[in-house]
Amino acid sequence: MLPGYPYSILNSLQYFLFYLLFSVPLTLSYRTSKVLNFSHSNFIAYGMYTAIFLHGLAGNQSFLVAAIAAFLAGGSIALLNHLAVFRPLEQRRASPAFVMIASMGLWIMYNYLLYMLADVAHAFTMKNFISYGRIDYADIPDLRILDFTVDHSLLASLASATAFGTALYLLLMKTSLGRAMRAVADNPALAEISGIPREKVLRFTWFLCGGAAAVGGVLWTSFSGTITPASADAMILQVFAVSFIGGLVSLSRTILGALAISLAENVGIAALNTFFGIPTSFRPFITFVTLLTVLIVSPPLGAAGGLPYRFRRKVGGGR
Amino acid sequence: MIDILGFLVSWLTLLGIYSILALSLNFESGVSGVTNFGKVLFYGVGAYVAAALSTYLLLAIYGIDTSETPPYDIKGIIALGHLSTRNPLVNLGLFALTLILAFLVAGALGYLLTYPILRVGPAFVGFTLLSSGELMRIFLQHYTPLGASKGLMAIPNPFAWVPVPRLREALFLAVVLSLLALVYLVLNRLVNSPFGRALKAVRDDEIAALCLGKHVPRIKATVLFIGSGFSGVAGALLAYYLTAVNPDMFVPAVTFNVWAMIILGGLGNLKGSLVGAAVFTLLDRLLTFVTPQIGLTVVSPDYIRWFAVGLLIVVLIIARPQGLLPEEPVKTPALEEALRAAGESSG
Repeated sequence: MLPGYPYSILNSLQYFLFYLLFSVPLTLSYRTSKVLNFSHSNFIAYGMYTAIFLHGLAGNQSFLVAAIAAFLAGGSIALLNHLAVFRPLEQRRASPAFVMIASMGLWIMYNYLLYMLADVAHAFTMKNFISYGRIDYADIPDLRILDFTVDHSLLASLASATAFGTALYLLLMKTSLGRAMRAVADNPALAEISGIPREKVLRFTWFLCGGAAAVGGVLWTSFSGTITPASADAMILQVFAVSFIGGLVSLSRTILGALAISLAENVGIAALNTFFGIPTSFRPFITFVTLLTVLIVSPPLGAAGGLPYRFRRKVGGGR
Repeated sequence: MIDILGFLVSWLTLLGIYSILALSLNFESGVSGVTNFGKVLFYGVGAYVAAALSTYLLLAIYGIDTSETPPYDIKGIIALGHLSTRNPLVNLGLFALTLILAFLVAGALGYLLTYPILRVGPAFVGFTLLSSGELMRIFLQHYTPLGASKGLMAIPNPFAWVPVPRLREALFLAVVLSLLALVYLVLNRLVNSPFGRALKAVRDDEIAALCLGKHVPRIKATVLFIGSGFSGVAGALLAYYLTAVNPDMFVPAVTFNVWAMIILGGLGNLKGSLVGAAVFTLLDRLLTFVTPQIGLTVVSPDYIRWFAVGLLIVVLIIARPQGLLPEEPVKTPALEEALRAAGESSG
């Protein structure tokens, strides 16, 4: 019997779906734009807070409304980042390190802007937006199968992840826009020579990635007990580790990574807790060890990675 | 009456500590191209090495059983308060010992961490180091022997035996500034040496450096050893200055603050880092003096400050990527001769 059964399994499934919605956009945005976007966690956080502000200020009870609003908000932020920061840097041929530092600056900026917005909203309504409770949406029911209740947030995550996955698959594989996106990811110069409007593809990709991550944030508000402006940052290790397992390129490997990390975390920490008494707050260590193992055993080489150094064999040594 | 002398001493001490951080980060990231987003890890490790060793050893030296009165306990804190003023030699000896160990432990950690990140690009390096820093914080928050979330208090300042507080602060400031001078001299010498040129080659084109026979992995590991070691020293100085450490002092925001300093000052220019550190620490100190005067507002001034830091990084990267002081060429005898010749012919 697995430790922590059945909660560890149910949590794994739930987290798998979250990581899918958070990390697939990250991989997609990196492989299309070659920008490692640290401000990716802002998309998630702004998605959460779009839902919270709609709930707390406008009394919104509908998941659908919140998701659409969050998609537009997250997408707009991503598009704004691209137009105001990443595109000028690319036109100047700035090094990847500079682009990364710029995205880090954006990350801090948006993070504290969110704290400020929460403070302002608090001043008007006297509600606590810095630590907000779980939102029960009226339009997603708890599903009962036999004597087993499927939590409504799990149901919503399942529906959203399936919808997102199917839509993304159809987009990438069946439409000419998707083919253009794949072409830009594989070889930007060749794509441009072939007449693909790279700039338009990039804008569309950013909007899609920001929006999808923000919808993931809305789902988080129906799952987590307390939501703070730092909730998204608390998950950034997992989200990036999942994408790193995919080498920041492969979407199918990213999905595998989401499965691996969610299982390792939830089942692994339950096992460590049961057998060795390690506190559950040490969860991130499992993710980190997984990340280090992946970096050592199967380092992502090529565009996203570095040089294939080997330490055992001497270069030009005896045969 | 505003206490100008006190303001100056506290500003200069912070300036010294942050300058060491900024110099070492500039050495790693500006000169050698290791995108270190985990500065706070080595800073925190240095601070905790100094804090833990000095408190545990001080109790042990005077024959107090640390398993019964641990330093994070209230009894331990009181005992430390009494003991720290007893023997100047013990204080100074502990200070020197922990400073060296902070350098070695933080440096060794930096050296080891280069192994998993050698074969991956800057994106992975930055993120792996960033998450290592966060993990350290989570670990410290839950590890009782290091005081868990309360941290360690009553760290014996090396000059705790000096009865006049002003003099005590001034002596510590002198130590901080002389260490800063030492770090600057060492790094300046390294940057303007054949090794420094190899570092810039690795930063600008790793493959080219490799083809010219430079052992890139070893160079990167050396850089992180030196840079992290100095950050460890900065952390130890912080621990002795504040005489208390806790895990929440070592959040990723600290790293970004140092990044903002070196970007403002100019990547690859060591003097620029000093300028950047001076500007930021001065603003910080002024803010702590001014904030109580403003009183309660809708938005916390802290948030505005951090928002401004992020905005500044973005604006600088877009508008003035070379910073206030642009990078200078490596000083070599050949360059000096050429410059002198050019000066003579034109003059």
